[in-house]
Amino acid sequence: MTLLHYLTVSGILFVIGLFGALTRRNTIGILMSIELMFNAANLNLIAFNRFLYPERLDGNVITLFIIGVAAAEAVVGLALVVTIYRNLNTIYSEDFNLLKG
Amino acid sequence: MGLLTTVTFLPLIGAIIILFIPKEKVAVIRGSAIFTTFATFVVSLFLYAGFDPSLVGDGVPVMQFTERYEWIATFNVFYAMGIDGLSLPIIILTTLICFLASIYSVSIKERVKEFFFWYLLLEVGMVGVFCATDLFLFYLFWELTLVPMYFLIGVWGGPRKEYAAIKFFLFTLVGSVFMLLAIIAVYFAPNSGTFDMLKLMEINSSWSRNFQIVAFIGFYLGLSVKIPAFPFHTWLPLAHVEAPTPVSVILASVLLKMGCYGLLRICYSILPAGFEWFLPYFIIIAFINIVYGALCAMAQTDMKKMIAYSSINHMGYCLLGMAAVSSTGFNGAVLQMINHGIITGALFLLVGVLYDRAHTRDISAFGGLGAKVPVYAALMVLTCFASLGLPGLAGFVSEFMCFLGAFPVWKMWTILSVAGILITAAFFLRMIQKVFLGPLNEKWADLPDINTRELLAIGPLAVLTVLFGVWPKLILDITNPTVTALAEMHSTIFKYLH
Amino acid sequence: MLEHAYLIPIIPFVTSLVILLGGKEGKDSKMPYLGIAAMGWCFLQSSVLFFRALSGRMPLEAGKEFFLHQRFPWLEWGENLRINVGVLVDGPAVTLLFVVTLVSLLVQIYSLGYMHDDKRKKRYYAYLSFFTASMLGLVIASSIFILFACWELVGVSSYLLIGFWFEKPGPAYASKKAFITTKLADCGFYVGLLILFCYAGTFDLVSLKSYIAQGLLPVEVAKAVGIGFLIGAIGKSAQIPLFIWLPDAMEGPTPVSALIHAATMVVAGIYLVARTYFIFTAAPTTMGAVAWVGLFTAFFAATMAITAYDIKKVLAYSTVSQLGYMMLGLGVYGYTAALFHLTTHAFFKALLFLGAGSVIHAVHTNDMREMGGLYKRMPTTAATVGIATLTIAGLPLLSGWWSKEAILHDVYAVSPGMWVVAVFTAGLTAFYMSRMYVLTFLGAPRNEEKHSHAHESPLTMKIPLWTLAVLSLFAGGILHYNGLFEHLVHFKLPEGSHGSHHAPAYLLPGAAIFVFAVGVGLAYKLYSGSLETAQQLRGKLSIAAETLEQRYYFDDFFLGLVKLSDKLATACYWIDSRIIDAIFIDGWALVLRALAAVNDFIDSFIVDGAVDGVGTITQDAGWGLRKLVRGQVQEYLLYVSLAVAVFATFMLSR
Repeated sequence: MTLLHYLTVSGILFVIGLFGALTRRNTIGILMSIELMFNAANLNLIAFNRFLYPERLDGNVITLFIIGVAAAEAVVGLALVVTIYRNLNTIYSEDFNLLKG
Repeated sequence: MGLLTTVTFLPLIGAIIILFIPKEKVAVIRGSAIFTTFATFVVSLFLYAGFDPSLVGDGVPVMQFTERYEWIATFNVFYAMGIDGLSLPIIILTTLICFLASIYSVSIKERVKEFFFWYLLLEVGMVGVFCATDLFLFYLFWELTLVPMYFLIGVWGGPRKEYAAIKFFLFTLVGSVFMLLAIIAVYFAPNSGTFDMLKLMEINSSWSRNFQIVAFIGFYLGLSVKIPAFPFHTWLPLAHVEAPTPVSVILASVLLKMGCYGLLRICYSILPAGFEWFLPYFIIIAFINIVYGALCAMAQTDMKKMIAYSSINHMGYCLLGMAAVSSTGFNGAVLQMINHGIITGALFLLVGVLYDRAHTRDISAFGGLGAKVPVYAALMVLTCFASLGLPGLAGFVSEFMCFLGAFPVWKMWTILSVAGILITAAFFLRMIQKVFLGPLNEKWADLPDINTRELLAIGPLAVLTVLFGVWPKLILDITNPTVTALAEMHSTIFKYLH
Repeated sequence: MLEHAYLIPIIPFVTSLVILLGGKEGKDSKMPYLGIAAMGWCFLQSSVLFFRALSGRMPLEAGKEFFLHQRFPWLEWGENLRINVGVLVDGPAVTLLFVVTLVSLLVQIYSLGYMHDDKRKKRYYAYLSFFTASMLGLVIASSIFILFACWELVGVSSYLLIGFWFEKPGPAYASKKAFITTKLADCGFYVGLLILFCYAGTFDLVSLKSYIAQGLLPVEVAKAVGIGFLIGAIGKSAQIPLFIWLPDAMEGPTPVSALIHAATMVVAGIYLVARTYFIFTAAPTTMGAVAWVGLFTAFFAATMAITAYDIKKVLAYSTVSQLGYMMLGLGVYGYTAALFHLTTHAFFKALLFLGAGSVIHAVHTNDMREMGGLYKRMPTTAATVGIATLTIAGLPLLSGWWSKEAILHDVYAVSPGMWVVAVFTAGLTAFYMSRMYVLTFLGAPRNEEKHSHAHESPLTMKIPLWTLAVLSLFAGGILHYNGLFEHLVHFKLPEGSHGSHHAPAYLLPGAAIFVFAVGVGLAYKLYSGSLETAQQLRGKLSIAAETLEQRYYFDDFFLGLVKLSDKLATACYWIDSRIIDAIFIDGWALVLRALAAVNDFIDSFIVDGAVDGVGTITQDAGWGLRKLVRGQVQEYLLYVSLAVAVFATFMLSR
């Protein structure tokens, strides 16, 4: 297994995530897609760490941080979703356009 | 904590206490304000008791009750206080007038809490000005009097109160700005770098004459507004007419003295060459103040305005005495400050009494009140006679000494100024005639005589008027050593006068 | 007695305070008796001093010309400057003490009757005591400064007493006029004091005298001081041109006129000149001025008295005229004569006023045209006033004769020309005084109603009348006898200042007797019958009479001055409010406000415009760009991804 394999997997993972984030109407789905993109990035970091600088831990540490942040982000995101649902009675993203200029 | 700090900041404590009293409890507020001013007065009497008039040095005045703490080290600013024979009588006058006027202030019915808050704050500033021996501190207290006065006139005043208050404020503020500049200039002068007045009095000989003149002008502009000296006097009649009675009293009795005091303490002592340069103009201003002020007073129909102009006339005597630069003149000027404070304070209180009853101050609206309100009439006549310089009452000796001092130096101007005495007599007697003599104007048939509260405020002043008239030594013994030393301090510069 | 002379002014002063502050006001007030008692004590003390001094039993201080000189510093300042308070008792002082306390006492007794139903009796007596105290202080003051202080105080008491019935407009006006007029003159006195102190450095009479005796005071300065003091004296002693207040002062109660405006206060000016005589003699010019002022006053006042019909006004002019005599006497080096006349004048003029008061009390009018024939109703008054009239008119051997002759003698010695005028004036005096007496007491009653109500005054008023009558008759003769008075009151003149003219022995008394006879005879002839002849005469000389009745228009002149100063005052105030305040002070404010307006324009249209312009552009751009924003988060994300992709491609392909 070379670095290239890992990067390919993570690339595919990222594109899937991106596609999901762009196309899903369900907000929860979007959130999940974003998690996918996070994980693609995590995979990249681990891989680079493992193959380029095996003696150091930077990549691993940052990955752990990202997992933490992602968890927090998921919590905030879900809380927002719940609030939005309560207020607008929908979780489809095209239905809320409060940011419209 | 020193005695001077106590006298200065006791009213502040009172003011803070008043802030914590609910505003509905009017009687408590009044009571505590009167008590505070009374306590301050009593403490200031301790100053009198502990003061040694004979303590004078050679040259720079020797201060007593001194306090000195470092305050802003970077700029060499000290919290420095001290008094000598020049400031002590004025401080006692201030606390006394504040006490008596606060008794009279019971007549203030609205927004009592704020009134007394500002009132006490004003007292802090006024006492502080006379105690400070550091220019920075002096300026701070000087400005501190401004804001309370602004509100006291602007909120509790007469019909044109806003105009009067703003005029007063701007006038004095503009003057103060020049004074601030002068203070800064003195600070940056050669060998200086200090705000200590006493030190500045010593080192001024190394300053060039031109510098002293410029700095003098700065100080003079600030001080002459307060005196008020012609042509910066026009705020006074207006402010007096609009201010409520107790504030008028303070304005006339104490605030005007700040200017005269500053002239002696700063202009003359710190900048002798500037003062010397200005003398020929100064005597003319004194003359104008005396005669022109008296003439303006004669043209008035409003009693308060008349007395306000007569204040300008009386401060002219102070200026005349100062222009003499001699022990006689300076003593006369200081004595005149005290006596004017007492007499004019009483006059304003008396006019206030009449105004409270009749709601007019128009001289020709009355007539024949002498039979109706004998006690009031007697007090008024006594005070008027004191003001026009009747021997045996306070004003005479001080006026005479001012003239006596000025005459050897400024013969012509002094003789011309004597006309002021005649005009003063004319307008006071006319006022007495129109208000008290002649047939009774039936409109005032029910006018009540003076009541106990008013008598409490005015009586002591009347007594002092007689006391200082009969025995002026009471004041003179305090002031004389200091003032004589002061007159000698720069004798080399004023050599040509003697 | 002597060493406690200071008590003489202090007792009445304290009494006046007690009367004023204590007791109850009203008709039945007992306070007047306190005043009289105090005055009685002062009189006693003064007369002991006077008679001891007169009989030579009071020793002078060693080598000095005074009996007592006490002083203590009242005001000390500077290195070594002081003003002393103290008493100086010498011949003139004891004389004046005696005169003042005597007349005061009599007037106070008299007032018991005259003012018996006045509702402010207490106050009246307080004022009287206060006046007497200040007058006595003036008399025995050891320093000119204290003399000046008392001088002002007598002015105030005069003010208060003239205006005693202040509910009436007349007294209210007259009191003010009196005060202001004398104050005008006091300015001269004031300046004199300033000059004196500037050069001599002291106000003490004794020190000044020795100072001047040593010739330390330059003549020019002495002249200036003398003129200043003379101006003061002109005001107080009602000399021309400042006599105008005295006739008006008659608005006060008549006993007050007798005390203040006849016997005592008005002689203060004379006394001042006498007290500072060493200054005047040091500068001969001022002596001339004094003499001329006196002569003019004596003559013109006498002419004014001729046409007056108000009994008190006649007496007022007569007072002015007699004061002129005294001034004239002083001016011609007749120091003793002038003070002698002062003394006798005090007696007979007080008597005249008290008599006039008695008449007014009886008939309730001042107008002599409504009197006539009163001698039947009021014998005592008529007799005593008759004595006084003869005395002032100059009947030989009465008091007035001696003193007037003494003055005329000194006048002749200096200038026979002045003497002629003075003697003529004496004739005028005899005329107008007799005219007054004839009009009031003799002839037929002209107003029956008033005449029938007239009655003699009560005993309290009669006693003073008789006392003064006796003094008017004999005091002059007694004091003249053996040079008693001259021994007591004299001034050592500098060498060579005496007059040099000597009159023939018979001329002076002869001329005086002649003018007396002519004056009295003429008056009797003109006025004893009906007033028609007098009226016709007045018709013929209407211009002259008008001038006299208008007091030579002096009043108009001074009223003009007052109006002028009023105008000046108005002008000053106008300048103050319209020019200084409006232009220089508020003008600055206006200029500033105009500047502010310009500033505001620049600010809002140019500076603010530029800022707003940027804002507007931005806003417009925003309006355009907002179309792109549809609020779809996924769309934004798409843009972001596309952008990232583009950039990534771009960077990687490099």
